[in-house]
Amino acid sequence: MDIQHHMLVAFAKSYGLFYLLAMAAAALIYACWPANRARFDKAARDIIDDEDKPWR
Amino acid sequence: MVSGLTVNERQRALVVLALLAIVGMAMAAFGAMRGDLLQVHGFVVLLFSLVVLAPVLKGYFAPEPPAERLHDYYDDPIKVGIILSMIWAVFGMGVGDWVAWLLAFPDMTFDAAWSSFGRLRPVHTTGVIFGFGGSALIATSFHVMQRTSRARLADQFSPWFVLIGYQLFCILAVSGYLIGITQSKEYAEPEWYADIWLVVVWVVYLLLYLRTLARRKEPHIYVANWYYLAFILVVAILHIVNNLAVPASFAGVKSYSAFSGVQDAMTQWWYGHNAVAFFLTAGFLGMLYYYLPKRAERPIYSYRMSIVGFWGITFFYMWAGSHHLHYTALPDWVQTLGMTFSLMLLIPSWIAAGNALATLNGAWHRVRDDAALRFMMMAAIFYGLSTFEGSFMAIRPVNALSHYTDWTVAHVHAGVLGWDALITFGAFYALVPWLWKRERMYSPVLVEVHFWLALAGTLIYVFAMWNSGIIQGLMWRTYNDSGTLTYSFLDTMIAMHPYYIARAIGGLLFLTGTLIACYNIWMTIRRPAPRAAPAGDTPLPQPGAPLPANPQPAE
Amino acid sequence: MFGTHYRIERKSVVLAVAIMIVASIGGLIEIAPLFTIDETVETDPNMRVYTPLELAGRNIYMREGCYACHSQMIRTLRDEVERYGPYSLAVESKYDHPMLWGSKRTGPDLARVGGKYSDQWHTAHLTNPRDVVPESIMPRYSFLRAAPLQTAHLADDLRALRRVGVPYTDEMIANATADAAAQASPDDDTAGLVKRYGDATQVRTFDGDKDTVTEMDALVAYLQILGKLSSAAHTPPPVQTAQK
Repeated sequence: MDIQHHMLVAFAKSYGLFYLLAMAAAALIYACWPANRARFDKAARDIIDDEDKPWR
Repeated sequence: MVSGLTVNERQRALVVLALLAIVGMAMAAFGAMRGDLLQVHGFVVLLFSLVVLAPVLKGYFAPEPPAERLHDYYDDPIKVGIILSMIWAVFGMGVGDWVAWLLAFPDMTFDAAWSSFGRLRPVHTTGVIFGFGGSALIATSFHVMQRTSRARLADQFSPWFVLIGYQLFCILAVSGYLIGITQSKEYAEPEWYADIWLVVVWVVYLLLYLRTLARRKEPHIYVANWYYLAFILVVAILHIVNNLAVPASFAGVKSYSAFSGVQDAMTQWWYGHNAVAFFLTAGFLGMLYYYLPKRAERPIYSYRMSIVGFWGITFFYMWAGSHHLHYTALPDWVQTLGMTFSLMLLIPSWIAAGNALATLNGAWHRVRDDAALRFMMMAAIFYGLSTFEGSFMAIRPVNALSHYTDWTVAHVHAGVLGWDALITFGAFYALVPWLWKRERMYSPVLVEVHFWLALAGTLIYVFAMWNSGIIQGLMWRTYNDSGTLTYSFLDTMIAMHPYYIARAIGGLLFLTGTLIACYNIWMTIRRPAPRAAPAGDTPLPQPGAPLPANPQPAE
Repeated sequence: MFGTHYRIERKSVVLAVAIMIVASIGGLIEIAPLFTIDETVETDPNMRVYTPLELAGRNIYMREGCYACHSQMIRTLRDEVERYGPYSLAVESKYDHPMLWGSKRTGPDLARVGGKYSDQWHTAHLTNPRDVVPESIMPRYSFLRAAPLQTAHLADDLRALRRVGVPYTDEMIANATADAAAQASPDDDTAGLVKRYGDATQVRTFDGDKDTVTEMDALVAYLQILGKLSSAAHTPPPVQTAQK
């Protein structure tokens, strides 16, 4: 049991910060990826008038 | 309502209700044999199934609904969900204000067991959080998932199962506290059998959501759905882990938590804080990210920010629970982690609040004229304020003062009244005319009145509790010249009295606003449908849709 | 056609899985170690378990929602230690399933209320708090005195607690109902009860009524044991240094 705890602490102290940064970077890269821009803009615009009929 | 279901779906409903009735009878029988309160809840389950059975039987022989219905969105459960949510709002807020008066005038309990503060308080919290908030989240999520996917709900039976089944959970919870059934975990008080039932309902809910999303037109999933999904998924995780328990007997209500002491405290507040995060924040942010831009008729200011904020909230919140346990027997390193992440949490929270307000920038004239939109704007402001306050209170020295006092109560109510309730009312005021095909709400003036009552009630409540909390916290730690404590606990309690009255008045104003909303919504529904379709929309021929709606709750 | 739909479905499932992973990390890192490290809970070999009567009282405490207004957790702050006594240690709630640390002090902390007041005071206070403390805003619990305590199934409760880790012995479980009655009836044979639960077991007619074991007996018995199951807090091991 004790080994498990030490492993967790060691992980948190060594890679924890990098892990956090990597996760933040992944979210930012996804959000700012140029190819996603058109898709996001369309998604944001599409909801404004959606009281038409379902497509299926 | 029932006539909109196919015969096959009506049969499925009958089977489920019959099974439920059998379970109820079994619970009653086992409970009776043991002389346990389970008996009472068995009858509650039985009665519930019979009450729901009545409309199903009444509509059972109606003709099969026309196939054209499949070319429209399926809005019946949303309508019922809105009405149920408003019923819970009146009930939960009414009980809340009642217990607020009890703290000022404690002898109003009629010498009965059920009417004491201790039993009524969870009735209030469950009534507003799970009854009002939960029903509102379910109803709006059904609306958002269909519209953003441009797809009809994946089937007609499961939305009813989720909505009505969830009501049973809430009724079991609330009735249980009154007769003395509770596992005493704050915001997770229902006992093991109710918890198991909620898991069943929740799994169907998740599957319905994923199945409806799978029917969507565009590959991209609109961000509001992310928040609703996080709400469903994480609440499931939290609920299951926190409620792990061993029943004393399967014929009795009592169970014992699998965790004890410090582990239980950490699990409980990991649950408690993330119930705030994923029930009272993520779900309602889903509401905000759909209804605010739609009502303002402007796309969200920054779609990217909404995505970054989403992952921030999903990740950071889970660490923050331990700030409820500063200076306790919880190990220091966990307290420090909780404080650090609570501070970081401010970033994604303010991204969301700022995004909402920036969306309105350039449409302030609409905010001025349209009270529904103003509800949403005010909600975003309160969201920003209470997340800032939350991060501040998570700092250890601040928490030393605020913890155990009414400051916490002020903070919670700034969040739930100012943010959750206001965004819900804003969404409902937008939704009701859309769903029932009315041009507008029955009385825009009453919407205005509701807005100002809600705002005034929230401010009075929050300021009263800020004052009492800070005063009490300071009095507890005041030393006199000889180095001993100046005030007895009783002294601090006496100082609270005027604030408790002020708080109860604030709550009464808020409750009055809610009652006005109920009246307004009801009159909007009752008003005959206009002949022409609302401006801006393509005229919708409505074959089979219950236009002169008579939405009795199916309960 | 099938291909695009497969992709669309996969996308929402990927999103769901990503949410679960991202959200789980915080809880895992904070909670999991609490179950693995030994330092979390100090040890006290003399730690007592709740007697059946005290356990029944604890369940009444929970049933009535006392935890909503009374905490049982003295923080490591000077004024709290001076007001309520030595700060609470983790070991003291080791057998509390669930813990009742509380989150709000509408009334005072009760972690060390045991022995602070007499049984008569508690009974009078619970019957009508304003008879004893005129300014009190606590509800009346006079009905507890009229309610006979349900003890028939206490063995099930002890058994369930043993399954989650409380060291109740077979003998304790077998005698649960009798022990509950004995603890509130000093005239009866209480030797077995004391042998099983230790010399410190408090055997009294807690509510002043000899004839029936009531819910009032149980609740007062529980209140009188609060803070007394372990003496570790009075000789604290150097686990956590007091702040301030």
